[in-house]
Amino acid sequence: MSFVAKAVIALGVVLLTTSLSWGQVSPQRQALCAACHGADGNSQIKGIPSLAAQPKLFIENSLILMREGMRDVPAMKGMLDGVTDAEVIELAKFYSALTLAIPPADKQADLFNKGEQLASGMRCGICHLPNYVGREQMPRLAGQREDYLLHSLLQFKNNQAVGRDSNMAASVYGVADADLQALSHYLSRITP
Amino acid sequence: MGGLGLALTFSLGALNAQAQAPAAAPAAPPPAWKQGMPESMANSTLAPLPAKLTMTKAADVPLDKIKVPAGFKVEVWADSIPGSRAIAAGDDGKYYVGTRGLGRIYELTDDGKQRTSRIVIDKLNQPTAAFKDGSLFVVAVDKVLRFDGIAKNPTVAPVDLTEKFNFPPLQHHNWKYVAFGPDGKFYVPFGAPCNICALPTPEYAQIRRYNADGSGMEVLATGVRNSVGFDWHPVTKELWFSNHGRDWLGDDSPDDTMLRLKVGGNYGFPFCHAGTLADPDIKKDNACGGVEQPVALMGPHAATMGVTFYTGSMFPAEYKNVLFNARKGSWNRTKKIGHDVVMVQADADGKNAKVVPFMTGFMNEADQSWWGRPAYLHQMKDGSLLVSDEQLGVIYRVSYSK
Repeated sequence: MSFVAKAVIALGVVLLTTSLSWGQVSPQRQALCAACHGADGNSQIKGIPSLAAQPKLFIENSLILMREGMRDVPAMKGMLDGVTDAEVIELAKFYSALTLAIPPADKQADLFNKGEQLASGMRCGICHLPNYVGREQMPRLAGQREDYLLHSLLQFKNNQAVGRDSNMAASVYGVADADLQALSHYLSRITP
Repeated sequence: MGGLGLALTFSLGALNAQAQAPAAAPAAPPPAWKQGMPESMANSTLAPLPAKLTMTKAADVPLDKIKVPAGFKVEVWADSIPGSRAIAAGDDGKYYVGTRGLGRIYELTDDGKQRTSRIVIDKLNQPTAAFKDGSLFVVAVDKVLRFDGIAKNPTVAPVDLTEKFNFPPLQHHNWKYVAFGPDGKFYVPFGAPCNICALPTPEYAQIRRYNADGSGMEVLATGVRNSVGFDWHPVTKELWFSNHGRDWLGDDSPDDTMLRLKVGGNYGFPFCHAGTLADPDIKKDNACGGVEQPVALMGPHAATMGVTFYTGSMFPAEYKNVLFNARKGSWNRTKKIGHDVVMVQADADGKNAKVVPFMTGFMNEADQSWWGRPAYLHQMKDGSLLVSDEQLGVIYRVSYSK
């Protein structure tokens, strides 16, 4: 199904399920976002992050880095052309206020426990907060999609996170991919 | 300041072993990546301050909150440059501004009344700028480009000097403050790629100089954790530079520092901080033996950044040869300091230094709120002082009249 076809369906869902204000974001734009990120900000699509309950500033910064071509995300190519700063701020406000769905109940105990130890030892909670809900420029990790978390961690590790804070790169340099997998599994399955 | 407290190691066997060990394993020394992160701080929530990437217009800058000494005036000289940091003056009234997050170099054209701007290049990794003999030098974490004759030929294709400069690969703390010295050489610092660590390879924590074409590299100083500002003393022609101290040793330790360059000098990292404090994580005997001593202590975690000696004649006589320093403001401290421009008043040999506030009001000590982060300084030909505010993405001009 094309983005547009999905978008048309999603728009209907948005209008039915959303009482929050989209501010000055156009219906077309709302539908485009919802097509992949979910009408309620909870992504059902592999590799696409959920935006619900992400910190407002984190969403703003991410959108601008993508709009300006600093952050190269193929699925987002062209999606933000011509979107103003004011509209970016409205989008961020909208998604940050949505509720993140309860994560799937399919945790693998060994991987989960290993990830929990790693997250604690690597002090992820200092910046992302002890319950990993994130704040300001630092994303929420708790309940994010596992595949997206791993993708993002690998980008930091491999110097592919241009435009984002190099503190994060320094935090994962040299960490084994298997450990990043455990971290991703753990973080994706916790509900604060 | 600068690095999150996770000291890193480049062989994380220890991490894997630790993660897989049963909970009841006998106590072992902490793995290397945990160095610099004491248990007492495991529950800290101090974190780098949030930067914004949306544009701020001059009209939305709370100029009335900025305080400067009597007779000085502050105006917003340029706005709508998200993440503005480095400033370099070019030919024909042009200025080049490097931004971090969005990775751009802006060219501002000043007709004396207003500035127009265009983007010279974007999508670079934290670019900064310098200018010499008609050429704009753009230096990113992983790239060096030279734009020849750019004032006359705005679309000139850059010469790529990246291979000649041969930068090391790790990116953290490797934004570069760059400038040409009185000797015509190009000075480039290389930060430590961590908060605190035994260096993975020796090419970090250095100040180097090169010929303008990238040849003739010399390492001038080692043990410099993260220098993000320097200038040459107007009388002695010595290089004075700012240096960030490490994180996670508490609110009051260690100080950021202002230093003088001694060729071949050792400035202590990772074993010794601020000339006197032995590191509790990366140890050696007599850690501070032979380490160069600072001119001035710039405040713990204050983020001492851009440095400019004042040589103009617009400001009163007592400002002549005074060192101005932008302090971007602390994050690794429960009570904020910095967010200001200070002066270091010292003898030409570095003795009797005093740190005196000059431009304040970006932070409110009482409620710990803040709105601006002065980062970089540039003295204009007329003797006024440009100050970039990386938080709002604007540049202030500080002038004086009786």
